[in-house]
Amino acid sequence: MSEIVTGSIKAEKIEINKNELARRLKTKVDFSLDEIDSCKDELLKVINYKFAYKKVSVDLSEKDYVNLGFCNVKSKNLYKNLQGCNSAIILAVTAGIGVDRLLGRLNMLSQSKHFITDALSSAAVESFCDYVNQAIDDKYETKPRFSPGYGDLPLEIQPDILKLLSADKTLGITLNNSLLMTPVKSITAIIGVQNEY
Amino acid sequence: MNIKQAIKNKRLYFDGGAGTLLQTMGLKGGERAETWNITNPEKIIKMHKDYLLAGADILTTNTFGASVEKFPNYEEIIVSAINCAKKAVEGFKDKYIAFDVGPSGRLLKPLGDFEFEDAVEYFAKSIRVAAKNGVDLILIETMSDAYETKAAVIAAKENSDLPIFVTNVFDEQSKMMTGGSPLAMVAMLESLGVDAIGINCSLGPDKMMPTIKEYIKYASVPMIINPNAGLPEVKDGKAFFNIDADEFSDYMREIANLGGCILGGCCGTTPEYIKKTVEKTSDIAYKYPENKNLTVVSSYTHGVLIGEKPQLIGERINPTGKKKLKEALRNNDLNYILNEGITQAETGVAILDVNVGLPEIDEVKMMKEVVFSLQSVTDTPLQIDTSDPKALEVALRIYNGKPLVNSVNGKKESVEAVFPLVKKYGGTVIALTLDENGIPDNADDRVKIAEKIINKAKEYGIDKKDIVVDPLAMTVSSDTTNALVTLESIRKIRELGVYTSLGVSNISFGLPNRPAINSTFFSIAMENGLNLAIMNPFSKEMNDAYYAFCAVKNLDSNCSEFIRYSTENIQEEKTVSKKQEMDLHRSIVKGVKDSAVKQAEKLLESEKPLDIINNHIIPALNEIGDDFEKQKAFLPQLLLSAEAASAAFDLLKTKMNTADSDTSRTVVLATVKGDIHDIGKNIVKVLLESYGFKVFDLGKDVPPETIVQCAVENNCKLVGLSALMTTTVPSMEDTIKLLKKTDNSIKVIVGGAVLTEDYAKMINADYYGADAMDTVRIAESFYGK
Repeated sequence: MSEIVTGSIKAEKIEINKNELARRLKTKVDFSLDEIDSCKDELLKVINYKFAYKKVSVDLSEKDYVNLGFCNVKSKNLYKNLQGCNSAIILAVTAGIGVDRLLGRLNMLSQSKHFITDALSSAAVESFCDYVNQAIDDKYETKPRFSPGYGDLPLEIQPDILKLLSADKTLGITLNNSLLMTPVKSITAIIGVQNEY
Repeated sequence: MNIKQAIKNKRLYFDGGAGTLLQTMGLKGGERAETWNITNPEKIIKMHKDYLLAGADILTTNTFGASVEKFPNYEEIIVSAINCAKKAVEGFKDKYIAFDVGPSGRLLKPLGDFEFEDAVEYFAKSIRVAAKNGVDLILIETMSDAYETKAAVIAAKENSDLPIFVTNVFDEQSKMMTGGSPLAMVAMLESLGVDAIGINCSLGPDKMMPTIKEYIKYASVPMIINPNAGLPEVKDGKAFFNIDADEFSDYMREIANLGGCILGGCCGTTPEYIKKTVEKTSDIAYKYPENKNLTVVSSYTHGVLIGEKPQLIGERINPTGKKKLKEALRNNDLNYILNEGITQAETGVAILDVNVGLPEIDEVKMMKEVVFSLQSVTDTPLQIDTSDPKALEVALRIYNGKPLVNSVNGKKESVEAVFPLVKKYGGTVIALTLDENGIPDNADDRVKIAEKIINKAKEYGIDKKDIVVDPLAMTVSSDTTNALVTLESIRKIRELGVYTSLGVSNISFGLPNRPAINSTFFSIAMENGLNLAIMNPFSKEMNDAYYAFCAVKNLDSNCSEFIRYSTENIQEEKTVSKKQEMDLHRSIVKGVKDSAVKQAEKLLESEKPLDIINNHIIPALNEIGDDFEKQKAFLPQLLLSAEAASAAFDLLKTKMNTADSDTSRTVVLATVKGDIHDIGKNIVKVLLESYGFKVFDLGKDVPPETIVQCAVENNCKLVGLSALMTTTVPSMEDTIKLLKKTDNSIKVIVGGAVLTEDYAKMINADYYGADAMDTVRIAESFYGK
């Protein structure tokens, strides 16, 4: 069996991907504004990046079904994505509950700040996920990561993924009735592993 | 001997982990341990017995996840679990059975979607079964959220008379998952009457040390420590915990020396761990914790210690004398109230007063809504300020922490209404020195009332440390000895060993230049021993007095607070003066709100409000709108401009004749049922308001009927609907159908990430708003501008 690898990274260490940010702010890349900088300062104070991942075996013997041991899911897209993989990394990352609180407060105070901070925090958790993904890529030859809700991979596997990673304890991630995660700026993903370096 | 008496005299030991142990007995991965109570009771009994033989005094039933949501037969599972524990203790003396209550796995509102009352009922269902089947105590454990912990404790208190033990989960930084600190948990749980508190799980005993020290420093009840056997590691394909029984018990010895009263283990620990812990700690003399006599209020993240350094309470959420707040309360305008809360909290006040009493509104309902909403936007502890016991009860029940209660007084009626509620839900209470005979005109009689209230509190089981006395400030304009009497009262009340509070600004009622009197009196009162001041946190004079006092009284090390306070204010003044150089048009285009308001104010000296809107605001908005459409400006700028324009609008509205203000341009906005994304809708709202539209914002996840009702009641012919998920477009279609059926003259704009022009036509919408600016253009042309 494989262990759950967990860790946390300081907010300042993750550079927010500017393309991701521009896409979410609906601006051109490298667009700058004082308010974006000040929102970013406030956001970095509350971000608490944490990750957890675990390697599992992949069984693709039944067509269009991906059996990951802890769950067996029908998904043509993931089945295709994982071709050639004997194992996969199950990953969850979060920017922490402080971001939810900040967004809740800004939603009451200022829609401009709320919009900007929401975009910043989405880009931030995506960038953090890239960072962890990169660390995994350094160890394994991998496929592009694939998240529940993307393509035909159902959100219904979220509970299994979070349970596998003890994400309630390790990351503080819980699901609501619509299977959406709290903290809102959290990502789960499946990363196919082809070879170990 | 019951466990509450036992713990007075000796150290007690919990059992250790169950999961790993049961796996070695054959429990399969994915199989739920709780089912073994029914299928393999002999193995559960054996595990319990092994722990008893190792020296454990308290067994936890195998019911960590035995709840109604996880098991349809939860009752059978609980009864079987208790029977297993009872079988195990047969033949042993002085052993206790703790009914084990684990977390629900769901997050409570506002962060999650679990209703507080539903959470209480969730726990109550299991606890009722346990209470009927004879256990010795209830152990609420592995809780990583303060609010869920409170729900479980309330459920236990309401459904049994059993002792309650609680352990929470902290990380290495001594923070719980949702941000709670040790002091916050100690304050809340002690105040709720929990009998022993502490920590478990997540970390080994080594990493728990900082949290343990915090608990021991603050807690007046025994502390429980149930650590993991270190952290999980994998070696040769096998998972194991990295602290063995020898190392574990060495740490437990250290913990016993620190003052740990109830010791045990969590994940990865076995009877061996408990046995060695018992052996290595039995020679350490036992000491029951002393009463720390701390006066604390708390939120879900932190506690505020009341003591030598005076603390400020923001008074702005109180309708007395505040026209705008009264209006907000009447119109159910939560946004305004929350803004008052957030902006006060940002000034650094320690506590926020919450008073929503107006004769014409439903105070109970409003209080519940305001407390719930405030604690979702600020973690500053709240002071529940009401004379209505019903409003007090709903607020205390849903408050996430240990609140300040304002207030009780010497009248029998008041004591009988307030103290039982405080006993049940916890809190620190402000005691006003008045009774059936009114407010005494001299200090000695006020002190007598204070003593009377303190004694009454004791009868209800409320400690003196949880009473703060307010000897009442009466205006010097009616009697110039008033302030002196109050000051003398403060001194004498402090001699009773309790802290004091005052609504400071009452002192100047009826006088001109009130800030001068208020701040002078405030300084003298602090010098006489005032601990809590209810005041206006936006008053420069009061803040000056406060920060200067702390600096000169050696209550502000290195004067750092004073320096921060002073430089922040100077900087603010500088930036404001720089921005003032822009005219109204530029201020809006640049999106600088303060400047826009100032410039609008200035223009009012020479121009009519309506002219300012038409000649300055609208052209500025059009300029930024055009830039946006030409992609010379972007959404963040558009929003900043819209907010600046709205702020100027709000000012102008107050100066406009009703004849001038055009109230016919209305729009109903909602995110449709099933959809919880409201960013897009909120952006549209801000933009529409900046153009002077009146927006009825119904929020997110809104049922079709509510939208129709709002449009009809307000005779509004334009409705904007937003949906972000493909799955909620059908709900949009339903809403349009119902709107058209009810009144065919109502026009509907739809927008949102998943929609397109074609899609909009297909579901019979009248317009498709490609973005927020587009929606404004549609609304403008609809109203024929």
